[in-house]
Order: sequence, then C-alpha cells, then structure tokens
Amino acid sequence: MNMGLYDKASHHVRYWLLRRLPTCQQTVAKLSESMEHRLTLSDRIRVQVHLWICAWCQWYFEHLHVMRTAARAKGDESSDLAPRSTLSDEARERIRRKLAGGT
Amino acid sequence: MTEATGKAADPSPDPGVWLDQHGDYLFKYAVVRLRDDTAAEDAVQETFLAALKAYENFQGRGSERTWLVGILKHKIIDHFRRVKREAPIGEDVDEGSDHPEFFERTDQWTGHWHTEHAPSDWHATPEQLVERADFWLVFGDCLSPLPQRTASAFTFREVDGLTSEEICELLSISVNNLWVMLHRARLHLRNCLEINWFKRDR
Repeated sequence: MNMGLYDKASHHVRYWLLRRLPTCQQTVAKLSESMEHRLTLSDRIRVQVHLWICAWCQWYFEHLHVMRTAARAKGDESSDLAPRSTLSDEARERIRRKLAGGT
Repeated sequence: MTEATGKAADPSPDPGVWLDQHGDYLFKYAVVRLRDDTAAEDAVQETFLAALKAYENFQGRGSERTWLVGILKHKIIDHFRRVKREAPIGEDVDEGSDHPEFFERTDQWTGHWHTEHAPSDWHATPEQLVERADFWLVFGDCLSPLPQRTASAFTFREVDGLTSEEICELLSISVNNLWVMLHRARLHLRNCLEINWFKRDR
C-alpha cells in the first residue's frame, strides 16, 4: 500500500518535471551535441534530469553510442556500408585503359 | 624452392590484377564518403595511377590494400578541396529534416516522443552488431536517403572518427552547421535502423 502511494507520488513528480523541463525534441538535440563537445553546466543538468525521468531519451542516448561504437569498430572494413555498390563495367574499363597507358 | 614468394619482391605490379582485387573495395570505400559515383570512380582511378607511380615506396610495407586505402584517403580529401575551390558554398546549409513527425504536437505533450517513433530497447551490443553483415546492409541503405553532405559528415565523424574541426574544414561549414547535420543524420538513422532492423524478427 505504501509502495502504491510512493509509485503514485513518483509518477506525479516525474510528469510534473517532464512538463517543465526541455522537451524530448530539445533534449535529443542536446544529446547529439554532447557527442561533439562538453555541454554547458546548465545544459548538462537539464539533460541529466530529463534522462532521469524519460526512458525513451535514455534509449535514444544509448543508441547514439551503440551506433558510434559499432561504426568505428567497422574501421577499414567500412566498405561494407556501401554493400550494393560496385565499379560499373564502363568505369572499370576506363580505369584499365588508363592504367595500361599511363606512366 | 628458388622462387621468390614474397609479393614485395615483385618490382612491377600488374595494374589489371590490382583493379580486379581492390577496385570494388576502393570504390565502395570512396562512395561511402563521397556519396557520388562519378567522384568515387575518379578517386579510384587517381589512386591506382598514383600507386603505380609510387610503387617503389610501398615495396612490402604492410598489405597492399591498406596502402591503397591510404592513398585513396588523400584523393578523397583532394576532391573536397577541389569542390570548395570550384563552387564555394554559402554558410547556411539547410538540408535534411528535423523530423518533427517523431514528436507529439498536442498541447500538453508538444515536443515529447510520439509513441510510434519513441525509441525502444535494442537488446544488442555494438560488438554483436559489428559481426552481422546484414545489419550493415540496412545501415548502408538507411544512410543513402540523407543529403549528400550530411551523409559524408556523418561517415567522417562516426566511422572515421575525424574531429569536428577537420570535418568543418573539409566540407567548409561552420561547427554549428555540422552539429545540426549530425543531429539530423542521427535522428533519421536511429529511427530507420529501429524500424528496419531491430523491430524485425531476427
């Protein structure tokens, strides 16, 4: 019963805060910016409090890191990011001729 | 027995073999960053020509492919320098979308996630994803609808790990512009991956 009261109260506090903090739309822009440089103290506080009450933005932030870590780990295999691209026959022939005639 | 086995011992490489072995790889590498087939073909051609001239500098240092990729990186930078010289672009880049449809538009919750677009648990670590070839297929497809420069900026930042300053210099944009472009790219890509990869049964 006490838990029920606590849950209710925490629910109300979270939603009360959520409506007063920067929106998710504003927060995700700041989250992206935080991948580029250190945010100002006031931005950091607002983002942190928002993350504390918003699971969606928590996921969002985690996904930004997952995408970065996975993409960087790809490193020199990054050709895989253009999986369907190949040199056209025409370009291949042109380069072949250039290389044969060059130097 | 008497035959030299090391590739490095070969004084004159066969460019035709190079083209067959590395052509597609280099082209893909270039296309991911340039987002332009013609420019990528040119970069590959220039790479092979430069490699042919400089072959004695290579001679057995590491793998041939790594060496070629190293040259290609310079050719890619050259491309952006040329573009900058020939057609300087204004400061204000307004390309791509902020995806307002991802967020609610009703009074009370304006600006908060629209339930249909709200992020969910991916249940995946980067280490798992790196191994999945089909994930990168989706990743590549999700990048392609982005505006050319936005996709290039994203790749330089998130794949190559270049600094903001390096990318701004390369693409001749301001740092604020870069942040807007990266934010838009991330919004789009995250959503596209979630729909086309994570919400599918795998």
